[in-house]
Amino acid sequence: MKRLLPCLALLGSPLFASTYVVTVAGLGGEPDYEQRFSMLATDTDKMMRAGTAGDRIVETLKGADATKAHVEAALNKIAGQAKAADVFILMLIGHGTFDTEYKFNLPGPDISAGELNALLNKIPAGRQLVVDMTSASGAITEVLKKENRTIITATKSGSEKNATVFARFWVEALRDNAADTDKNGQVTALEAYKYATAKTTTYYSEAKHLATEHSQIDGESRAGAFTLVRYGAADVVVTDPAKKALLVHKEEVENKIDALKYQKDLLAPEEYRRQLTGLLLDLSKTQAEIEK
Amino acid sequence: MNAPRLGCIMTPMLLVLSLTALAQTIDRAEALWKAQDFTGANEAFKGLVAANPKNAAYRMRWGDLFKARFNPGEALTLYSEALEIDPKNARAHLAVARILVDQFNPKAAEAADKALDLDPKLYEAHEIKARIALEDDDHKKAAEEADAALAIEPYAVNAIAIHAALDLLADRESVWLPKLSDRGEGYETLAHFMVINRRYEDALKFYRRAIAVQKDLWSAHSQLGVSLMRLGREEEARKELEIAYDAHYRDAQTVNTLRLMDTYKDFVTFRTPTTILRLHKKEADALKPYFEGEMLRAMSIFEKKYKFRMQVPIQVEVYPNHEDFAVRAMGMPGLGALGVTFNTVLTMDSPSGRTPGEFHWASTLWHEISHVYMLTLTNERTPRWFTEGVAVHEETATEPDWGDRVTPDILAAIRDKKLLPVAQIDRGFVHPQFPSQVIVSYYQAGKICDYISARWGESKLLDMAHEFAKNRPTVDVIREQLGMEPEAFDKDFLAEIDKQTGKIVARFEEWTKGLSEVNKLNKEGKTDEVIAKGRALEAIFPDYVEIGNPYLLVAGACTRKDDSTCAMEEYGKYSKLSGRDPGSIKAYATLLDKAGKKKEAAAALERLNFIYPMDTALHEHLGSLYLETSNPPAAVREFQVALALHPIDMAGGHYNLARALKAAGQNDKAREEAINALEAAPDFRPAQKLLLELSGAGV
Repeated sequence: MKRLLPCLALLGSPLFASTYVVTVAGLGGEPDYEQRFSMLATDTDKMMRAGTAGDRIVETLKGADATKAHVEAALNKIAGQAKAADVFILMLIGHGTFDTEYKFNLPGPDISAGELNALLNKIPAGRQLVVDMTSASGAITEVLKKENRTIITATKSGSEKNATVFARFWVEALRDNAADTDKNGQVTALEAYKYATAKTTTYYSEAKHLATEHSQIDGESRAGAFTLVRYGAADVVVTDPAKKALLVHKEEVENKIDALKYQKDLLAPEEYRRQLTGLLLDLSKTQAEIEK
Repeated sequence: MNAPRLGCIMTPMLLVLSLTALAQTIDRAEALWKAQDFTGANEAFKGLVAANPKNAAYRMRWGDLFKARFNPGEALTLYSEALEIDPKNARAHLAVARILVDQFNPKAAEAADKALDLDPKLYEAHEIKARIALEDDDHKKAAEEADAALAIEPYAVNAIAIHAALDLLADRESVWLPKLSDRGEGYETLAHFMVINRRYEDALKFYRRAIAVQKDLWSAHSQLGVSLMRLGREEEARKELEIAYDAHYRDAQTVNTLRLMDTYKDFVTFRTPTTILRLHKKEADALKPYFEGEMLRAMSIFEKKYKFRMQVPIQVEVYPNHEDFAVRAMGMPGLGALGVTFNTVLTMDSPSGRTPGEFHWASTLWHEISHVYMLTLTNERTPRWFTEGVAVHEETATEPDWGDRVTPDILAAIRDKKLLPVAQIDRGFVHPQFPSQVIVSYYQAGKICDYISARWGESKLLDMAHEFAKNRPTVDVIREQLGMEPEAFDKDFLAEIDKQTGKIVARFEEWTKGLSEVNKLNKEGKTDEVIAKGRALEAIFPDYVEIGNPYLLVAGACTRKDDSTCAMEEYGKYSKLSGRDPGSIKAYATLLDKAGKKKEAAAALERLNFIYPMDTALHEHLGSLYLETSNPPAAVREFQVALALHPIDMAGGHYNLARALKAAGQNDKAREEAINALEAAPDFRPAQKLLLELSGAGV
C-alpha cells in the first residue's frame, strides 16, 4: 500500500504542484570543512535539478552567501510563492550547536531552531521535509515538529556535538542507484535516510570508533512520499493514456503482493511462495505489456 | 607556646593507644583475610596504612592481599610505595620481581638481583632468575640459579620444578620430578614451562597432577581450564573453570574465559573431513567460502611441502571482537597478536575485528596453519624462532603479494645492530628488550628461513624440522644441517640482510625527510612534484606501503592529472608489494575495469577478499567482473557473499545472484533468486524480465 505509489501517487499528484528545495551549507570554521560542506551542497544542488521536469524550484546557499539574511530571504520568498499542494524540502549541511537552544552555524549570526521554525511555518506547502545534517541536529526536532513536516536529523539529540558524516552519505544516496531499494526509479527521503543511516553505522563500525551520531527521523510514515531523485522510465509510463487498463491491473496486482507480504507469517512457506510467484509473474507480464 | 608541652605529656599515652590499636588492626585485617572477607580485609589494611603512612610492612601485606585477589597492578603500586619508605626492603624487591616475572617484564631480573643484594638468602629470588633464564631458553643459567636456590633452601619447590622442567624439555628421565612429591605448586610451575614451550598436552598432564595432589589448588584448576579451552576441549574446560570460580578463585583469566564461553552459542561450526571452522553467526555466510577455501588450499600445499598429512582436522576459530580473540588465546584482553595456535587449534581475529586494511587475514591464517604443521612435525619440539620463522616465510612463499614488508622500526633495529644471534633469537620473542623487538624478531626469524630456503633449498627447512623433532638445540641443528657454526651463519645472514636493506638503511634519514616533504607537497596540491619526488622515494625504500606511502600519493597525483595509466602503474606496484588499503585497491580495480582489463581488475579485487571481505561493493563489482570474464561459479560465490553482508539494496543483490546462477546453468536456483529480488522490489524491471525468461514466458 505504501508502495502504490510510484505510478498512482504520481498520477494522483495535483497537477502543477511544485517542489521547493533549499540547501544551505553553513559555516565550516576551517578550510577542510568549508570545502567539504560546499562540495556536498554543490552535489546536492546538481542532483536536485537533474531529471526534473521543471516542477522544482531549487536554491542553494553556500560559502559566504549562506548568511542568516540570505536564508531568511530564501525562505520568505518561498513563503510568498508556495501553495498548499506544494512540497517544500530544506537541507542543512554543516555544524550545529546546542546549549539551551539549537543553532545552525552560518557566516555571521547563526540561525536558531526557533527562528527557522517561524520561517517554515510561514511556508504554506502542505508537505514539508527538513533534513538537518549538522552536529547537535537532534535538538531541532522538538522545535520543528509539526503534523505535515517530516524531520530527519543526523544526531539523536543536541548532546551529540561532534562533526557528522551523515551528510556525506545522504548525498551519496542521491546518486547511488542502490539507494532505490524498491527499484521504482526514484529515491525517496525514506530510502535516502535508510541508506545514509546504514552507511553511517558502517563508517563508525569499520573505523572501530564509538559512533558519535545516531540519525533520527520524525514522520517516517510520510517520508516515502518525498521523491528526491528520479531516474528511469517511471514518468514515461504514466503519461500514456492507452495503457490505463493495464495500469489499473498492475496496481491491483501490486496491492495483492503487498497484502500477501503482510500475511507471510500466517501462511505455510510453500503456499506463500506459490502465491507470490504467481503474482510476480502476473505483474511482470503486465509490465511487459505496458511497455510493448 | 603550650602545644609542645602538651605534646610531651600526651605523646606516651598516644603511643600506647596507637600500638594497641595497631596490633588489633593488623590482627583484624589478617583474620578477615583468612575468613575470606576480602573487602573487610582491604578496608582494614586501608585504615591501617592511613594511620601508619610510614609503615612499609603494612603496605607490603596489603599488596599481598591485592596480589592474592588478582590485582597485580595495585599490588605493584603498594610494593613500590613500601620501597619508597624502605628502599632496603629485600622482600619488597622480591615481591616486585614476582609481579614483573608474571608479566614477562624484563625488569623482573633487576628486581630479583636487588633483593639478593640486600638479602643473599632470599632463595625465591634465585627461583625467579631461574624462571627467567628458562623462559629465555638459557638452560645452563636456569640450572645454576635453581641450584643457587636449592643451596639455600633444599626444598625450594620452584627450583626443583625448574630442574624437572629442564629434564622434561630435554626429553630426559628426571630425578627431580619425584621430589615434587605432593606439592601442587611445583607441578603448576612445570606445566607453565610446558605451555611456553608449546608442549600443551604435557602441560595438561602436570596441571592435572597438581590438582591430584592438591585438590584445592584453584589456580591449577583455572589454568587447566584455560589450557583445555585452548585445545578446543570446551566441556572439560568449563568444568575446571567453574570449579575455580565456585571456590572464589576469580582471576581475570577465569572470569573472562567463562564469559567468553557463554557467547559460544552465537557461533556456528562448519566441518569437512579435514577442517573445523567456527565463525560468528553474523558473518559466517560471508566468511565461510574464503576461510574454508584457504584452509584447504594451505593444507594441500603444506602436505606436499612437508610430506605428511594431518591425522586430525585443523580447527580454526575466528573472532569478530578482538578482545574475545585475546581472551580465547590468553584468557586476558590486550593481546597484540592477530592469531594464535595451540597444537591443531588456531584462533584469530576476523577481518571485521580490525579496521579495514589493517591486516591480511589470509596471511595470518596461513601463518597459523604453518604452525600446526611445524608443531605436529616436530612433536612440539620446535624452538620458537623456527616455527615463527617458517610461518612468516610461508606468508609469502605461495603468494608473494601477501605478508608484511620491512617497516621503519625494523630498519632502525637493523641500523642499530639489534638483530640477535640465531642461538639467542627466542629471547626477542619472550623478553623483548625494546618496544619493537617482538616484531623485529618475527621479521628476523622469517628472513632467516627465507635465507635458508634460498641458499640451501626449501627442503632444508623440512630437514631442520626433522632434527628439531629430535629435541636438538638450534646450535646443533645449524651446525649439522647447514654445515657451519652458528656464528658463521649469523655473519652470512647479516651480510644478506645488509645486501637487502643496506642501501635503505644508509639513506633512511633522507627517505624519512623526503616522505614528510612529499606528503606536504601532496597537501599543497603540487601534483608534478609529488610524482617526481614520490617516485624517487619509492626507489630508495620500495617496501614501504604503510601510511603516507609514495605509491598512493603518486597514484592520487596521476589521477588528478587524468592520467589513468600512470595511476594504474602506481596502484599495481603498491598491490604487488602487499599494499592493503581497501579504497586504493578498489580504485585500482575500477581503473583496470574502465581500461577493459577485466581479468586484471578481478584479480585486484580477489586480492582484496583476503584483506577485507566485509564490503558489499567489493563483491558486487567482483561478481560482475567474473560474469563478464565468463567465470559464473566465482560470480555466484561473490554475489552470495554480497547478500550475506545484508546490502542496502537487497533486491539488486538477489537479482545479481540470479544472473550469475543463470550463467552457471542453475536455472531453478536463478528463478528463485529472481523471485527473491521481486519480493523486495516487485517493480524491479530487469528482475521481472529475468523471471519471465526463466519461467519460459519470455517477452
